[in-house]
Amino acid sequence: MKPAPFAYERPRDIASALAVMASTDGVVKIMAGGQSLGPMLNLRLVAPDTIVDITGLAELKHVEVTGDELVIGACVTHADIEDGRIPDVTRGAMQRVASAIAYRAVRNRGTVGGSLSHADPSADWVSTFAALGATLSLRSAKGARRVAMKDFMLGALESVLQPREMLEAVRVPVMSASARWGYVKSCRKTGEFAHAIGAVLIDPEAGKARVVIGAVEAAPIIVESAEELFGGRITSDFGTKFDARVADNLLSKAGMSDAADRHIHVTVLRRAVAEAAA
Amino acid sequence: MNSVELTVNKRVVQKAVEPRTSLADMMRDTLDLTGTHLGCEHGVCGACTILVDGVPTRSCITYAVACDGADVTTIEGLDDDEIAGELRAAFTREHALQCGYCTPGMLVSARDLVKRLPDADEKKIRIGMSGNLCRCTGYVGIVRAVQSVIAERRARDIAPEPDGGRKVLGPAGAGHNVCVSAQKSAVAKSATRDATEVIAPLEIPDFTPSTTLDQQFTVAHPSATVFALFDDIAAVASCLPGATLVGTPRPERVEGAIRVKIGPISANFNGAARVERDEANLSGRILGVGNDQRSRSTTQGEIRYRLVPLDDGASTQVELTIGYSLTGMLAQVGRSGLVRDLAARLVAEFAGNLDRRLSGDATSAPPAAADLNGVSLILGLLRERATRFVRRFAGRGGSA
Repeated sequence: MKPAPFAYERPRDIASALAVMASTDGVVKIMAGGQSLGPMLNLRLVAPDTIVDITGLAELKHVEVTGDELVIGACVTHADIEDGRIPDVTRGAMQRVASAIAYRAVRNRGTVGGSLSHADPSADWVSTFAALGATLSLRSAKGARRVAMKDFMLGALESVLQPREMLEAVRVPVMSASARWGYVKSCRKTGEFAHAIGAVLIDPEAGKARVVIGAVEAAPIIVESAEELFGGRITSDFGTKFDARVADNLLSKAGMSDAADRHIHVTVLRRAVAEAAA
Repeated sequence: MNSVELTVNKRVVQKAVEPRTSLADMMRDTLDLTGTHLGCEHGVCGACTILVDGVPTRSCITYAVACDGADVTTIEGLDDDEIAGELRAAFTREHALQCGYCTPGMLVSARDLVKRLPDADEKKIRIGMSGNLCRCTGYVGIVRAVQSVIAERRARDIAPEPDGGRKVLGPAGAGHNVCVSAQKSAVAKSATRDATEVIAPLEIPDFTPSTTLDQQFTVAHPSATVFALFDDIAAVASCLPGATLVGTPRPERVEGAIRVKIGPISANFNGAARVERDEANLSGRILGVGNDQRSRSTTQGEIRYRLVPLDDGASTQVELTIGYSLTGMLAQVGRSGLVRDLAARLVAEFAGNLDRRLSGDATSAPPAAADLNGVSLILGLLRERATRFVRRFAGRGGSA
């Protein structure tokens, strides 16, 4: 239960972090709080040659609202969001999600960027940011690029992040005043990774809905235009229009063959819709 | 070794530690502060919870070197703390401990809750304490103790601090000695680790797989051609992402390795296989056993195949039954859903490679699995997440 030896680098800024990654031989892992990487290191499921600790980089703890989006640095912690230490553009949605991630001691070190980079399908931010329509800023020595959260996840622990590329910030759009948010997850034990996640952002005035079925052991199922889940149209009474059969079909199509698993996911999604309608 | 400077229980200490040394190990082994307990060592049980920059953190999954310059308070440093004193009295009164192993972590988490919670709401206390496991008390006494301290303090008009006193952004413990960069430490390890002599298992025993998966796909080639290809062990191996052969393969013994990768986790199973064929039924079986040295895990696997001619023999349906068993470290992260997902992706890739191979496109041999992002491997072995350990351990704890 002790990690294999690794070399440790703590660069002073993003540029030197990227330079260290580019110039270091062997397997390099970024650590941004280490609340997922730490257990994997201790269990020796991961044995990188070098760890690059980015938790000290002020650039990654920068938060600002620019135009119609909130830009959150990758090293902002779950507790920072839970406690309202950063501005909110989601009318409390992110704060509620953050407050239910793992345990307080984990939230005090675990970061938004670390969680996303780890790409655990059951992680709360993976589903939340997809439902909120967030965009990720990635950076490598070759340059910067932006990827929509909906395109980020490739599978369990697999994302579009390239070797020696890092997540710099999450850009969350300001939630419209008429939008309704619902987020429900199913855990048998408080704080454990979810067995099912339902995240919905529904704007009856705009007639739009985005639905995420998460914790499916692969990339989340993201329905960008979710009218089909509500009888073909998003109206103010969407809460009564949720069509469980359509959701069940989506899960079947995604390869979830166990009817009990589908039932849990559909139920969790129904509850998320009900929360949004309440 | 890296030099780490910390303020521990109000005393400045400077020690040389390895980067892999957890904060908990530094407290216990270097500073003799053995009140910090280690339980699960992967962030689940909460026994190691200590204060870093004034807020609770898991000291077993937080590395000392990453907290350079931080302020650390262990249970020993809470002797004169007002809230901790009230909690100790309440824990004694309410029988909130028996063996005491979890108590240091319980007190640190409870102290944080006492500061943050506005009132003594039982549900909120239970949720707030859910990251600290106790196997003796059943939690009733612990919850009562925390409730009573919160209620008494609020009755004394001591206001809650919802942020627990933290005012800056980022992980607790980080960002103090920022300028100490590029701490090059020469680590002589990978050379010895990777060059370990690999010995394939001698025996390839029969076994009953603990998990089996059925997959099928169709290739546009006659059954005889496909069956012939299945007899070419090197060709089959080259279609299998991540597989490499050692020496000359013979049906009774094939030696080689399969590299499995999921996200940052990878394993290299070295082993041997034997091949059985039944010409009359156009079927066969590949039976193998392999070891991953690093994780000290062993897998046994079998692929049963059966070919069914389709379209008057123009194409062939390949029916695969993949079975495996896994023991050792990696077995503890086994979960069927992810494995099925992996097997499906693997077989899709295998089928594609097989089809290209049959079409005479020998040049498009698949690259090594190590280069294939997202291609995880055979028999589903790995395909798992360390974090699932968390769930498993928690689940097991719950049923203990």
